[in-house]
Amino acid sequence: MSAEKSGTDGHKDGQKVIMKVENLSKTYIRGKIPVHALRCACITVRKGEFLAIMGPSGSGKSTLLALIGTLEKATDGKIILDGTDLTSVPEKLLPRVRREKIGFIFQHYNLIPTLSALENVELAMRFSRVPKKDRRDRAKTLLEDLGLGDRLNHKPTELSGGEQQRVSIARALANRPALILADEPTGEVDSKTRDSIVRIFKELSEKGQTILVVTHDPEVAKECSRALQITDGLIKDN
Amino acid sequence: MFDLIIRNITNRKVRSALTICGIALGIFAVIVMGAMSENFHQTFERSMSVTSDKIRVFAESGVFGGGLEDDKVSDVLRVAGVKDAYGLLMTTFDEDKMGMTGKQILGVPPEKSSVALNPVELKAGRFLNPGDSYSVVVGNNIKREYGLQVGSKFEIHDKYFTVVGILDYTGSIFDNAVIIPLETAQDLYNVGDSVSYIFAVPDERVDAEMLSKRIELSVKGTSTLSPGELEVQAKQSFMIFSVITISSGLLAAIIGGLCVMNTMLMSVAERTREFGILKAIGAETRDILLLTLGEASFMGLLGGILGIIVGVGAVYIMNAWLETTRIVLFLITPRLLIIAMVFALLIGALSGLYPAYRASKMSPMEALKHA
Repeated sequence: MSAEKSGTDGHKDGQKVIMKVENLSKTYIRGKIPVHALRCACITVRKGEFLAIMGPSGSGKSTLLALIGTLEKATDGKIILDGTDLTSVPEKLLPRVRREKIGFIFQHYNLIPTLSALENVELAMRFSRVPKKDRRDRAKTLLEDLGLGDRLNHKPTELSGGEQQRVSIARALANRPALILADEPTGEVDSKTRDSIVRIFKELSEKGQTILVVTHDPEVAKECSRALQITDGLIKDN
Repeated sequence: MFDLIIRNITNRKVRSALTICGIALGIFAVIVMGAMSENFHQTFERSMSVTSDKIRVFAESGVFGGGLEDDKVSDVLRVAGVKDAYGLLMTTFDEDKMGMTGKQILGVPPEKSSVALNPVELKAGRFLNPGDSYSVVVGNNIKREYGLQVGSKFEIHDKYFTVVGILDYTGSIFDNAVIIPLETAQDLYNVGDSVSYIFAVPDERVDAEMLSKRIELSVKGTSTLSPGELEVQAKQSFMIFSVITISSGLLAAIIGGLCVMNTMLMSVAERTREFGILKAIGAETRDILLLTLGEASFMGLLGGILGIIVGVGAVYIMNAWLETTRIVLFLITPRLLIIAMVFALLIGALSGLYPAYRASKMSPMEALKHA
């Protein structure tokens, strides 16, 4: 495993371990047959790393993302994120962990269609009970930084795929999470938009934001500080 | 959170409007049926307060079993503790309408007419006097319906009577009463010396309930209804009436509630993915509950307001129309409005409970996979 190899130099916290995945396994029972979606995965991620997980469909990369994102429960193993063991957090406290430590970016953007770009970004902060003015200011700043200053009040249907994904990135960043999990973030966009999204991730990473991207695209993986290969539920370091 | 609730409702305008109309229809039914019950309740309360000091003595066979001979009055009078007693003959005024209008002929001994009607006061004229035969005192509704004044002629059972007095409005059964001398009534309706019942007035410091029992034991062939028993009996009939009217209103409102539940279940099913997103970005179970329950309750509130406005409007229109036939059938009270509003909110919230529970219990991963 490449846990010890750091690809994030250039900032002072570059060596600090932000997440440690230890012997993480997930087994689904389909009928009476156990399906091992993930087997004894071990990963160490340092703060500010831009890490890619690559693998074919059904290899277990989305399962890994769901487990780290606390959207599913692991069968075995541990995930220590920013000092918290996510596998031992009681169900009731998981929403808080998702709010404070994790930011999600989805392939299909998953924005709320009835809300504007600004409101979509604010939504994540609403659940953290951030005061209205503060969350509005932060949402506005994030969107402006991502080049969407003139699209604040547009609904998702009025935005292009790339713009929607940038709103999704702003939403993921809203609560200043320890880790951003991106599931095929460039799967729905053209190569030009893909490059701009990857550029945003790189800039964020340089500023110290840790990002874990699941992707099919070798062009994306190439830009990452490190890429891990996953096949049949087993992780290999590239 | 309230702005999100409003947005979800306005986002599906037609569906939300239909749901709100469903609740409004139910609350409309609660208001109309409730107003009928409230009117009945008020009439009952006022009638009780007007006749609450007297014991009613009936023939043992009951009020429908046949009359009571007038000579029983002296038997009742002989019972210790009875201050006064007199017979009354009661029959429906409009026999052809089966008494549906509530108008009643009351044959009263003329010299007792003021005490029999106490504490009802006269608006004009006088009560019946001894020696009166074809004189009549009429209730306020009768006066209005027939345009009567003191001195007017009034036809009862093919005979003309002179109006000598008009009663003040009481809101009780006396508003529809036509009071004539007892003997004239007995002749008019060919009942000999029979009376419908005897009013026995207890002496002061005599317990009416005890006296009632004593009369029943002392005067053969009679049964009595003390003020207390009358109240219980009347309350029971009032309860039955209320249960029938209110439950038909409630039934309509519950159908409105099912309408909300259906809408909310559809809405939750459609927004499965949305709930998954909300959970992924950190929404608590209570946030999801608040969103869905808030939506259902707010639709309940809007439906309630609309139902009350339309219901109150309809009651006013119906009362105005019924005014021409001198029947007041509906009464809107603050109590009824509060009950209707609380009920609308409850229906909204309760109908939203199950859909909200379903939304809050969704696994975020499953919800996100939902197309």
